[in-house]
Amino acid sequence: MIIFATSDKGGTGRSVTSCNVAYRRALQGSNVCYLDFDFGSPTAGAIFGVEAAGQGTSSGSGLHSYLAGNVAEAEQLDVWTGSGLGGRWSKPLGAGRLTLLPGDFGGGEFPVDDAMVDRCCELFLSLDEEFELTLVDLSSGRSYATELVLRATADPAIAEKTARWLVFHRWTSQHIRAASSLVHGPQGILDTGTGCGHERRELEDGIRFVRTAVLEQGSAQLEGLRPEQEVWLQAINTDLQKLAGKLRLGTSMMLGSIPLDPVLQWREQIIVEDDISNTRIANAETGKAFEQLAERLTDDGMWEGL
Amino acid sequence: MDIRPRQLLLELWKAAARYSFPDEEWNFGGRDTSNSTSDAEQLLCIMYPAYQMAGMGFVRPDETAGDVAEALSELGDPRRIPQVLVRTLLAYMERYSDEGGNPTFAGGSYFRAQREGDELKPDQLGLDVVDSFSMSITLSLAVLGFVKEFRPTVRRDALRKELSELEAAASRRLSAAMVGILRSFTVRSFSADSEDGQALRTLVSGGGRSTESVLSGLREALAPARASLPELTMGVETPSPEVVEDDTLLFECGWSWGVIKDAPPVEAGAAAAVVQRDGLAEAKVSLYFTLAALDGIVDLFSDRTNRLSLIAPEQQGLVSALRLRLNLAQRYWSTIARFGRNRWAVEEVPWRGRRPENEGTETDYDSLLATAITVEALAAEQSARDVDIDRVTRILEELAGRARVTRRALPGEAEITLHSPGVRLELVGAEVLGPPVVWQVADFSTTLLKRVARTASITRDSALRDRLVTLADEIWSRHLQPRQIAAGENANLWDDIDNVFRAVKEPRPQPDEDLEPSWYFTERVMESLVAVAAISDIRPYSRRLADQALDLLAEADHLHASELLRSSPTTATPTRSRLDGIEANLRRARELRERQPATAVALLQKALRDLDALALARQA
Repeated sequence: MIIFATSDKGGTGRSVTSCNVAYRRALQGSNVCYLDFDFGSPTAGAIFGVEAAGQGTSSGSGLHSYLAGNVAEAEQLDVWTGSGLGGRWSKPLGAGRLTLLPGDFGGGEFPVDDAMVDRCCELFLSLDEEFELTLVDLSSGRSYATELVLRATADPAIAEKTARWLVFHRWTSQHIRAASSLVHGPQGILDTGTGCGHERRELEDGIRFVRTAVLEQGSAQLEGLRPEQEVWLQAINTDLQKLAGKLRLGTSMMLGSIPLDPVLQWREQIIVEDDISNTRIANAETGKAFEQLAERLTDDGMWEGL
Repeated sequence: MDIRPRQLLLELWKAAARYSFPDEEWNFGGRDTSNSTSDAEQLLCIMYPAYQMAGMGFVRPDETAGDVAEALSELGDPRRIPQVLVRTLLAYMERYSDEGGNPTFAGGSYFRAQREGDELKPDQLGLDVVDSFSMSITLSLAVLGFVKEFRPTVRRDALRKELSELEAAASRRLSAAMVGILRSFTVRSFSADSEDGQALRTLVSGGGRSTESVLSGLREALAPARASLPELTMGVETPSPEVVEDDTLLFECGWSWGVIKDAPPVEAGAAAAVVQRDGLAEAKVSLYFTLAALDGIVDLFSDRTNRLSLIAPEQQGLVSALRLRLNLAQRYWSTIARFGRNRWAVEEVPWRGRRPENEGTETDYDSLLATAITVEALAAEQSARDVDIDRVTRILEELAGRARVTRRALPGEAEITLHSPGVRLELVGAEVLGPPVVWQVADFSTTLLKRVARTASITRDSALRDRLVTLADEIWSRHLQPRQIAAGENANLWDDIDNVFRAVKEPRPQPDEDLEPSWYFTERVMESLVAVAAISDIRPYSRRLADQALDLLAEADHLHASELLRSSPTTATPTRSRLDGIEANLRRARELRERQPATAVALLQKALRDLDALALARQA
């Protein structure tokens, strides 16, 4: 299964959430690979703590080079050995593979051509054979990366594979509008996808939203609020809920909701069990939310629409 | 107000969902086992608050409130909740249709044999009953609205198809229920000297007026109701023309327990598709079934029904025929109930029936029913005067005491039987098929609470409202809450009646560990809680306070303006920001004065104190 992660705007926490979800999914035993398609700023290596590819790889065979046709194969890095995540350079017991395909150091955005689409398609097909889950982290907004993958997945060779989309957005009125527009608006994913030959309805059924940095009602973080602030927050939340429903990204279209967590705010990183139960810098709810989202990626019940 | 309707309803939902959906399959049942009315009651426990109360809806999963989702989590996540109900409602519609798909309204396990040991015949159990017609009108409208509101969010074809099926079934059931209830309505005339005539005269004569003056007064009072009799044409034996022309004849109108014997079939519009069986019920008005019918029929005219246009064009004829009967019955009974110069007939507690010598507690129950109809009539009259509401309030208070709802019971008191086992209404006419049948009603306290709440929501008088709210609180805390099942699997549902009367019952009942819920009673508790919640829809209002606020505002405005004349408008000083704060308070107070005069007074008092602090400092 191929999962595309995108967002309406920068700063939504798309990459950090996707990395964490890939990590959790691998812990649950699946073989996962993570493709850094955020071509303007390839920083997934930093989030995973893979120092060799902090700002993209310098080997000259990152995704930029592969798609441009400069190398025959894109570099694959094993995250368990490349970072400290698995403890002493090894993967945790029972975990699946966790592989990163980084971008090139200093790489940037680039326009798409047909040969590039073919190479991209080929890459997805071979990775889908090898891994249970291929997670592709796209640039935010209407980007070349989005166009590229929409064209690649419209190819009949790949059409029978399951491809799903996650759209990340923060829980504010601007983000809600922007996320809705990114999907449903002019030149949005659906428009572009239909232009590339996708069935609009089918594509739409494969899109779900993920809310990030959410202040959950009744969570411990609200305890410090004054009653006025809390009442106001409730009123705003109700309005946002209505707005989201109207713009077709309400609860029924939501796959997960990631609570606001200081660790994610101040340092984009993988939250490991140690951060939750030992050093206690991260909240247990955040870990749970990642875990749940990772499970739901392949839970068909969650993807069955109303 | 001490009752917390929203919290209580959420608890009720949680318990009802746990009972009803134990393993991915709806479990129809309860203490009285499944029948068309009980199953509808079980479903309404969940459906009804969702559309009657703001913020409790679940039909748009995107807007389901957190606590609602939590309470119903047994049914699934917010996306699943409406889907489970669609499937269950479809199952209900199918369960209560015959092989030809025609809706049935059998009383089933709610029918009881009058004599201990008799066993009712299957044909008797299959008889249609007004309670089921009425409950079906409410349920069908609930379903139709639910489908209308849910459909826009649904894209999946399979689900859309289920929705269409459900809508068709509900619409069909609605038509059938309306036809049934039309054919259960009756008008009966009798001479003033007949036994019935005498009973009616005794009922209304009150303070010993002469027969002549009572009769002429009654004739006059009933003239408007009499005048509308000829308009009744559908599903009723046209009342003999003499009752319209000869006003020495008395009459009564309302509902019997089921389709009236020899009631002609209804043919207009949607009725054509309804299978209409011959009726059996004696053509005699029962106050209980009249109120039950009215409670369902009013839903046809609710804002929601109009807003969502739930009535199909071919059903309009039936609906207007029912409106006619609603108005007639309401007018007739509220006229009778309010007949009398100094004292209304309904104020003579208990209500006197036909044979005073062998009457029991049912007369108290009749008093309550007559009061309930009076309350509805007052509500419909819009210009309800507070003196009238005051009289009704006194009756309600007295009934609450008399029926041992707000007062303690002594051992062996007859009033206990009002609640347990309840009043038994004989269903005359059903005995032709087997042993005599009775309908047991034990909803005195919930009917009382519902009407108390209803009365509170039509008055804006603070003192009256306070009395009614206090009464509602007492009914809840002294009677209804103790009847809630306290422990075991079905905790938070009803009904544990023995818990209230354990001390005074002989033989003393033993506590039962696993009481099954009574959907009959739980549904009625739910309805009364919804009625209690509706009290908050009407703001209390005090002319006196509004005037006082105006005087305070004038003075505060004046002082504020004088202060502004002293301080230079350009400097940003502490005084300046204090004055700005005062100004904001004054603006808010002016805004609120008409709606919330007490709040306006509180704001103005603060503003005045702030202003005086400045003045005082200047003098020091």
